[in-house]
Order: sequence, then C-alpha cells, then structure tokens
Amino acid sequence: MRFRRTAQAAVLSIFLLVLAMAGNIEGSDLFLRMDPVLVSAVALAARTLSWIFIPALIVLLSAPVFGRIFCGYLCPMGTTIDAADACFPTRTGPDKSRHPVSPYLKYYILAFTAGTSLLGVTFVFWASPLSLITRFYGLVVYPVVLLISDTAVSAFYPLASSLDLRTLMFAEIPTPRYAAQFFVLLFFVAVFAAARLSPRFWCRYICPSGALLGLAAKKPLIRRQVDSNCNQCGICAQKCPMGAIDPEMPEKTSHSECLACRKCAQICPQQAIIFGPNPAKNTYITDSALPGRRRFLLSGLAGAGTAAIALTGLDVVAKDESKKGVVRQARLIRPPGALPEPGFLAACVRCGQCMAACPTNTLQPIWFEAGLLGMFSPAVIPRRKYCDPSCNVCGQVCPTGAITEIDATERVWAKIGTAVIFRQQCLAWEYKKSCMVCDEVCPYDAVEFEKRPDLPHPVPHVIEDKCSGCGHCEHACPVYNQAAIVVTPMNSLRLRPRESFEHTAKSRGFNLQLRPEKQGPSYPGRERRDTGAPGSNGLPPGFDKGL
Amino acid sequence: MKKIDRRTFLNHARDMLCFTGASLLFPASIWARQKSPDISVVKGDIKSSVKKAVNMLGGMGRFVKPGNRVVIKPNMSFASGPERASNTHPEVVRTLAEMCMQAGAGRVLVLDNPLAPPRQCIENSGIAAACSSLGKDMVYAVTDPSRFAGADISGGKSLKRADVMKEVLNSDVLIAAPVAKSHSSAGVSLSMKGMMGLISNRRIMHRLDLHESITDLASLLTAQLTVIDATRVLSTGGPGGPGKVLTPDTIIASADMVAADAYAVSAFNWYGKRYDPDQIRHIRLAHQRGLGRMDIGNLKIGKTSV
Repeated sequence: MRFRRTAQAAVLSIFLLVLAMAGNIEGSDLFLRMDPVLVSAVALAARTLSWIFIPALIVLLSAPVFGRIFCGYLCPMGTTIDAADACFPTRTGPDKSRHPVSPYLKYYILAFTAGTSLLGVTFVFWASPLSLITRFYGLVVYPVVLLISDTAVSAFYPLASSLDLRTLMFAEIPTPRYAAQFFVLLFFVAVFAAARLSPRFWCRYICPSGALLGLAAKKPLIRRQVDSNCNQCGICAQKCPMGAIDPEMPEKTSHSECLACRKCAQICPQQAIIFGPNPAKNTYITDSALPGRRRFLLSGLAGAGTAAIALTGLDVVAKDESKKGVVRQARLIRPPGALPEPGFLAACVRCGQCMAACPTNTLQPIWFEAGLLGMFSPAVIPRRKYCDPSCNVCGQVCPTGAITEIDATERVWAKIGTAVIFRQQCLAWEYKKSCMVCDEVCPYDAVEFEKRPDLPHPVPHVIEDKCSGCGHCEHACPVYNQAAIVVTPMNSLRLRPRESFEHTAKSRGFNLQLRPEKQGPSYPGRERRDTGAPGSNGLPPGFDKGL
Repeated sequence: MKKIDRRTFLNHARDMLCFTGASLLFPASIWARQKSPDISVVKGDIKSSVKKAVNMLGGMGRFVKPGNRVVIKPNMSFASGPERASNTHPEVVRTLAEMCMQAGAGRVLVLDNPLAPPRQCIENSGIAAACSSLGKDMVYAVTDPSRFAGADISGGKSLKRADVMKEVLNSDVLIAAPVAKSHSSAGVSLSMKGMMGLISNRRIMHRLDLHESITDLASLLTAQLTVIDATRVLSTGGPGGPGKVLTPDTIIASADMVAADAYAVSAFNWYGKRYDPDQIRHIRLAHQRGLGRMDIGNLKIGKTSV
C-alpha cells in the first residue's frame, strides 16, 4: 500500500512538473500518449498510424501481464481521484461492494467512442482520462497556483521594498487566464463528488481507457490468488475499492476490474491472498464482468449515429471541407500549424497542453464557438496577447500532431489569418486623432499609413499579403472593448504535415517577412512618411508652427 | 603690532556678526546657482561629458543627498543596441548611477516600463550589463500592474490620474536620462515624453490629447535633474528607429526638464531642419503652465568640451 501511494505520488509529481515545463522540455506529451483510448481514437478518427502509438501500446501490453497497474499506480487521473476519495469518503452502506451503476457502463462508453471515431469524429475529449486530467491541471489548477504565488509575492512587496530585496521587489509571476475553465471545473466537481457513490467511481464505471485495459486484463499473468486458508469472511470484498471481488465467493476476482492495488492482501486476517504468477494454481475468474456483445455493438452504433448527427450540424467543418453549405466561424483563429479543420478536429484531443504551454497565453479553449465538436479546442485570442511569429511551442507540445511542428525557417510563413480594420472604431479614421499603434507593433510591416486630404492625421490600411494574422495590432489597439483592428481567419494556411508553408504562401502571393532589424515594436518605413508632412503645414510629425 | 581698544573690537565684532547673520538668511544654493548655468552643454567623451555637465550645475551633491533613494529613468524601451539611438547609451546611465552612489545615495534604481519584451530590452540595450559592475540588481524593466500605484495629477488637463511605478513614488530623487530622438506622434521624445515609461498603461495617453497628457504627467513626475544623451540623436524614424542617426557627442544637463528639452530641440536638426522649441506643443504647454522655461535665449547656458 505504501509502495503504491509513493509510486502514485511520484508519478503525479512528474506529470505536474512536466506539464508546468511543457514547451521548455522535450517529451512533455509522453503521458498523454500513454492513454490507450486517446491514442486509438485519434488513430481511428484521423486515420493515421504513427509512432505516437508506442507508449500507449506498451501500456496496453502491460495489462495481460500485470493487470490494470496503469490505473492503479500510474494514471494521474486515478491518483487525483484517490486523493478526492480521501476528501469525500464514500457513504458507508451495508454493502459497499454493490455497484451503484452497471460496471458495464465503461465498456459502452468505449464502444460509443469507437463508433464516433469510425466516422472521423472525436468525442474522446469527454472520456479520455489523460486528456481530462491534463486540461484540469493545466487550465484550472495551474493558473490558480500561479495567481496565489503572484499574490504572495505582491503582498511581500512593501516588506521587500523596505528591506531593499530587489529580486523579490521586482519579481513578476505572469498569471495565465483561460476561457471556459468553469466548464472544465464543473466536470471534475461531478467526477469528484461521485466518490460519494463509490470509491474510484470514474475508474469503475466511466473510464473507457480503464475498459480497454480491462479487456486486455481479463486474465493477467500476475493476478490475485486466494489460497485454502480463506474462511470466506468477505472483508476483502467489502474493502476492495473497485468492487472486483465477489462478496459471496471472495476467492473469485474480476481481473478486468482489479487495479492490483493489493489492499485485499494487506487486510486479509487469514493472509490467504497473494498476487503472483502462478497460473497453475486455481484462480477463479468471474467472466460475467464483461458486457454482452449485443449491447456493446449497440453502443458503438449509438456513437456512430451521434457522429452522423454531428456531421449534419450547420457549423461543423468536419469530414470534407470542400462540401458546400458549411458556415465557417467568422473569428475562429487556429494556432499556426493546425491541420486543415476536419483533420484538426479529428486529431485534437482537447488536452489543453498547447494552451498551458503557450508563452503569450493567447491560445484559449473555446466552448461552443465551433459547435459541439469544437469544444475545448484551441483558438488564438489576440486581444489577450499576440501569437509570437517566432514561436512554435503549441506544435512542439501537441501529443497527436493536430498542431504540426513547423520548421524554424518556415514559421514566419505560417499565416493564421488576416487583420481587418473597423474604420468606425479607429482613432485615426473616425475620431481624427493621431494614432499609429497598429503600425508601431506590426512585426511584418503589414500596416501602411496614408495621408488623406480630408483627415487631419494619417490613417491605417492593412496590406493583406504581408499580414500573418499574428494579432500584435489587435492586441495593442488602444480602443477599448472592440478593437478597431481585428484578425479574421481569412486566408489562413492550413496545411497537411510536411507541406511547405513558405512554398504554399508564396504560391498564393503572400509576402510574409519579418523585418530583420525589427525586434519588438518598431517604426519601419517611417522615414518615408516622416519626411513628408502629416499636416498641410509641411512640418514633420508632432511639430507645429509654434507660437 | 597695533593694539585695538575694546570699543573698536566690539564694533568690528558687531559688524561681522551682522554680516554673517545676514548671509545666513539666504540659502546656500543662491551662491551655487549664481555660479552655475541653467543648462550645461558638454561635448566629448561620454563619461567625462556626463560628469562635467552635472558638475557644472553644482555637482551631483546638489541633487542627491546622502541616504537618498534615487530612480534614474533612461530610455530602454526597445530591444536594440546603442547604435540605433532609440535607447539611452549605457555609459550615460552607468556614469549617472556611479555619481549618485558617490554622492551617498542610499539606493539607486534604473527603471523603465518597456514596449518590447522586458528581458530583451534591459539586455540588448546594454544598460543592465553596464550597470552590473556598480552593484547587484540595479536595472529593472517593470511591467506588472501590481508594481504601480494610482496617483492623482492635480491640475491635470487631459491626464488626471496615472498609475505610477511604486518605486518611483517611494524615491526621493528622480533623474531623467533620455536619449534625444524624434517621435512620430509627440514630435520629439526627450525628458518629458520619457516619463511615460514610469506609468502603467502608457498607451492610454494616445487616446487622450497626447501633448497635453505629456505635460500633465511632467507636472506629476518632475525630474530634479535631467541629463539628455545627445551623444547620438535619432533625428528621423523615432522612437524605435531605424532612422537617421546624428552624432553630436553632446550631453545636455539641467535642473529644469523643460529647459533641457527646449535646448535639445533647438540644438539639432530634426528631419534635416532646425526648429524652435515652441514648435513642440508639450514643451510650449509646459512653459505656459510654469513647469519650466523654454525661452532658452534668456537662460544661462554653459558650453564646454572635454
């Protein structure tokens, strides 16, 4: 027991550390790729087979040998639920081993997930434990931890200032903010509260990865065995967190449910229980733990049916993008390197790792903006911050390749949209004030100012072919609420893996170049405009006739 | 030796006492100010020029008293090196910091709220490296809103309240150390415009009347000493550059922000031509409000070379 707790704590700590450092270290997506359902659903829905299979395959192969040890010792979701169970203990009933719902439910969910994936649609983000737990820690817990740290540092400011502790005085802990985080939280409140019904409720009844591992662990090599010392007291059946032991016949084990946590072996008064590789000895397996074939198939069909309904939705760009009648989202900007939308939605498991790792926090989970199928998928929100044209962290941390890793030389060509000016909001156009902020911050020099005889100050235009949609302009626009310059998804480049951004962009007539001398906000091309006069007075900008 | 009688001695003593007493009625600075110019202009090597310019005004001891907490505000808003002339030269900042420490300052901080990513600014500008030998942790780019506190600008016409860096509010002495550069919206960016780097939401000023707000802010954040780095002048393409960089190798210092800015406007070519200080509206407004003087023709200007 102590060994298991230590192992769980260690693995969870590594998971959290890796998540916190995502984008700064290699292989931060390893945990996600260990989830057998996450990986197989992506493979099915996106119709791809690749090396991303391997960690999940190892996990799957561990089941016929060791049973569901992944669930019992490694899974960060399982560990978190164990911790929650300790906080909300199950209400003691007369018979705790009774199942409040059918233990077959998780198999139906597995079949449902497989059914949707067959049609190229993914709902796996509602059920894959690693996707859920990454999203929970990355988008809900981590920001709160940083907020508290930042508040603590700020609270120490007066003391630090008076003691002249400069590192503390000027320490700034940026706190990320996320959209839709309460929906993630609500889901977990439900998962944690279910502990009232039974311990590990999620793992027992819902988790499709647990179901898949259960199928593989029907008769594991190393498994629970009860010897002749057993006096049928039934304490083990009562204490089993998974309800894997038959209370009538405690020597019988449903190995598909068993996490190999060995609690039974520890509490057995007769010390009659061992876990070991001795298949010669009698072990009893209740095979009733597996669902009937008919119901399993029906669940798969239900999944396929749901996927079919989803595909007929007005706002769904799934399946075939060229099909007519799809209403595209006006403001949905996908991160650079995101696959073409159907492939992207099929491959994206909504783990939120890209958003947790995004250095500018511009990547946000969306809720219903892209329909039911687009829930929790990432979008660039320039008003929060721009998308750095030299950064490809989202592509590096994506576990499934829904956001591809872009070659460093190609990154500047990965156009994610085009900026558009709302003249009615613009300080220069509508309010006749001198403002050139969009031009000042544009790293591509895609904003041009024009002096018009009818307006007192130069007014901005976007040169579409030079704009990458990075959103520096929208982020910095000093007009409150609705910015006067906004990025739209127009002309974004959504390429398949290994297609060249530079080549495609050039073939479409785009000229996306960072000014080499431009680091941060700068004033390119200003000399040309500055020698001319903004007013009719022939004076340089900001000068007037004087007294 | 001739003896003086008691009466003569008492008369002399009375006269001397009166003279000393009368002289004590005047602050000592009167004597210093009579000797020192309103604006000092020094051409030559950077370090010696900065020292000479400040010494001509009466030395750093005139502005920084022992134990004072000093904030130096350079331009380090851009992640570019000194050659671009969009940031203050590191040697100017270093020399000023060193002089403050020699004057007995309790603490010297070099602060700015930059436009470009903070770390890149303090590193690429060379300012952090230049000051590192003077003491640990002196140069900071402050951006976190929690490090700023609201301050009312009484008499502010456009900007009535600003969130100012707390460390600036906590300091005794503020030294403006801007680079001389052109600015696409404000005409020039000198000591007054530079104070925008000490407030939190600097972009708000673009939505207000920019020149009026710069004047408002200068009435709140008035530097006791202004040292303008005109070793290089970004005469076009400001504030970020690239643009035409002049190299007058000059340091301008004054206890009057407006006078220093006014002199810098008149002394160099902007966009290839000469202009008068009153052609920059925020300088004109500051003069009219009595924040300082732009009529440099009536001021005492000390010029020298080192």
